[in-house]
Amino acid sequence: MIEMIQEFVTSQLFVSVHVLIVVAHVMLLTTAYLIYVERKVCSYIQDRVGPNRVGFDFGQPALAFLKGKFGLGQPLADGIKFLLKEDYAPSRVDKVLFTLAPMIIIVPALIGFVIIPWGGQWQMGGPWTLPIIGSLIGPIGGDLVHVVGANVNAGVIYLLAVASMGVYGVTLGGWASNSKFSFLGGLRATAQMISYEIPLGLSMLSVLLIVGSVMPDSIIAYQINHGWLMFTQPLACVLFFICILAEANRTPFDNAEAEQELVGGYHTEYSAMRFALFFLAEYCHMITSCAFFALLFLGGWDLSFLGFGPHAFDPVATSIFGVLAKFLVFFGKVIFLVSIMIVIRWTIPRIRYDQVMMLGWQTLIPIALSVVVLTSVMVYFGQTGMVPMIIANGVLLVVIMVIQPMLRSWLGNPTANRKIPMYGSRFNPMPGELVNTAPSDPIALEDRPVQGTRPAAT
Amino acid sequence: MPPNSNSPLLSPHPVYTTPMAIRDDEIIQIDIAPMNRAESAYLPATFAGFATTMRHFFTSFGQGRTSRTMQYPEERREDMPIEQGGMNYGNFRGVHRLNRDSSGRVRCVACMMCPTICPANCIHIEAAESPWDDREKYPAKFEIDELRCIFCGMCEEACPVDAIELTIEYSLVGLTRQEMVFDKEKLLSIYDATVERKPM
Repeated sequence: MIEMIQEFVTSQLFVSVHVLIVVAHVMLLTTAYLIYVERKVCSYIQDRVGPNRVGFDFGQPALAFLKGKFGLGQPLADGIKFLLKEDYAPSRVDKVLFTLAPMIIIVPALIGFVIIPWGGQWQMGGPWTLPIIGSLIGPIGGDLVHVVGANVNAGVIYLLAVASMGVYGVTLGGWASNSKFSFLGGLRATAQMISYEIPLGLSMLSVLLIVGSVMPDSIIAYQINHGWLMFTQPLACVLFFICILAEANRTPFDNAEAEQELVGGYHTEYSAMRFALFFLAEYCHMITSCAFFALLFLGGWDLSFLGFGPHAFDPVATSIFGVLAKFLVFFGKVIFLVSIMIVIRWTIPRIRYDQVMMLGWQTLIPIALSVVVLTSVMVYFGQTGMVPMIIANGVLLVVIMVIQPMLRSWLGNPTANRKIPMYGSRFNPMPGELVNTAPSDPIALEDRPVQGTRPAAT
Repeated sequence: MPPNSNSPLLSPHPVYTTPMAIRDDEIIQIDIAPMNRAESAYLPATFAGFATTMRHFFTSFGQGRTSRTMQYPEERREDMPIEQGGMNYGNFRGVHRLNRDSSGRVRCVACMMCPTICPANCIHIEAAESPWDDREKYPAKFEIDELRCIFCGMCEEACPVDAIELTIEYSLVGLTRQEMVFDKEKLLSIYDATVERKPM
């Protein structure tokens, strides 16, 4: 029995559990404050001020020194509000799915980050004695461990798989609500997320082709040695960012929750903590996607180009401070990307749903496919350096720009959404046709003093 | 002819036989010029948009130059000059008051002009024989339901003796509906409270 525990409790498990605990809390707290940041940024962009009243003083004079000047207590107040509100389910909803949907959406959003290599590899120094079971299993440590939640050997494929599971929560939430707005939102989200997974996977594939490995550590090591893949794969980088916007249901692709047309989209009927779970999942999804982007294109925790030297962020850091520094660098990149997402949300208007689909299927997927083909060719010829790849990407872009109008003239202009006069309708009669536009309801023709009342039967 | 135009139900009514709505010569067909290469990538317009939002972000950061916010409970429109968006005491339409005359009596003569013109039917007056010599009637009861009132100001327009007026008080709260039906004493006390800031 003890041998089994000793085998099980390795230094890798010890580190992984700690990483999971720390990152889960950091992520949830960041999510709460991301909502605050989003509201603040949006306010400043719109020449407002945003939340600036709520502090941590809870209205108590004794705690007045905690009174926030910047509204930093707003996430806490929001959380308390969500917890205390009535957990309301409309009648005739599918109760089981209605309850299940928020759980299904929050789980993929929260487990996605376990393979993000926040701190690279770490040579654990000295023996560490665990507080409770230490006397049982003896000290651990001294090994080379991965500072990562779970060192899955499927690598980034795992992240892709988990991220695509988020669509189930959206779809089920929309379906179970028994509301047309929710249903439409859920349908839109389903089609959109499935469509944008294809260019997402393809642009990731063009990165993996160059690196030759799916392990996050190898991807970062490649970028430390050869420069960030953002420069090697600029087209795939842009495609990937567009796709994670669509995957996280962010503007300009947030048709699933288009307030102006669908009330709230798939979470129209949700309130209280169930709604909060949908809301949190969206922001968790953003953080996970941005971490994914930083890992693939921004070198993960690598900052060597700033002159830290190749050893400042040595993959085999010997001190826990090296690990923490890597974590902070990685997290800083994630926060930077999330800020870009927030600014995008308050800059670019939502595009129409058919335009979303057209962009996905007619633009992103062909370009992503051609980038994959281009990368394969370059890998075949062994020209995967930064300069040849940039030249090749530029050539590809020019070729796309030249070919696209030729395709357009070959296939003809799209006729969708062209205004077609509806001849024969009441408002667009055929030439020479006489139309009776009087209301067909006899009640509507009667002289009624007040709208909505019918004259008493005599 | 549509089938229901000969229906006996409709016979006394005119049958509209002219084509309604849009005639062909009113339709303007707009052919939008196709976008050029740069425009069709949407990127120049996108980055111009980023420039706009970031400009506003930095100029209004921390209630900066372009920020439009007024910190309400601390800053109030009453305290600002009219030129800077302050409140015009003369024409602001807040809660009503009943004016007093020089001897402190209610000015109202219960002529029923204001309940007649009130579009929200929120004024209720019960007239009685006046105890004073200078008028025939006076309001024995004068109630305004401030929850029904839409603050249109028609009552003060209609009043022949300038008895009812809208004041500058706008923060109007109550815990019950009954509390929000203001009677004569309450309206007269509003006059006492606001006569210094808004003379009659």
